[in-house]
Amino acid sequence: MKEYTYEECQVGKKENFSVTITEEMLERFKAISGDYNPLHNEESYAVEKGFAGRVVYGMLTSSFLSTLAGMYLPGKYCLIQEVNTKFTKPVYVGDIITVTGEIVERNDLFKQLVLKVLILNQREETVVRAKMKVGVMDEEKI
Amino acid sequence: MTREEVFKKLDEVFQDVFDDESITVGEETTSADIDDWDSLEHINLVVAVEKCFGIKFNIGEVSTMKNVGAMVDIILERA
Repeated sequence: MKEYTYEECQVGKKENFSVTITEEMLERFKAISGDYNPLHNEESYAVEKGFAGRVVYGMLTSSFLSTLAGMYLPGKYCLIQEVNTKFTKPVYVGDIITVTGEIVERNDLFKQLVLKVLILNQREETVVRAKMKVGVMDEEKI
Repeated sequence: MTREEVFKKLDEVFQDVFDDESITVGEETTSADIDDWDSLEHINLVVAVEKCFGIKFNIGEVSTMKNVGAMVDIILERA
């Protein structure tokens, strides 16, 4: 886990990581969310609707925005305040997604960062575009 | 810039931040007057006002601003 302070978080700073989407992830997300929609659970239904297979939950893919902010940028001192997400292409089981975040704005008064985030699949297609506003907490309790 | 002009610009900022074209603000407007004006939206609001007027508030000003009229006073001092 990174532990960037607000001062270390300058505009242009980037972090990224990759993860493979597995069947188990879908099952766990289904259990947590209670979303049994057939688009994510029935292969034939998804194909009938024009997709290559069962579509990975968009909110599962976007859950890795939490990983980005909480573990990488800024990491430990992060407080996620706002997330705007666009699901631009479907994600499927077995896809390898790379999550990249870049600091595009800072506000010194509130110690707030604005992150531009892209999630790409193994074919370097953008599957998610997002903007996050995150606060950076002080390292020590004053 | 006149006080009236500042209020007119602030109307647009508030309408954009709260996504509500019916909002108009006055001297005595406070967070109690706008439903979604919580601590998180306060951050969005202050940042939007800073960008709109090209100014920077300090922490003392933000914490002691009691209404929009007080915000306008600061904007007019700085702009």
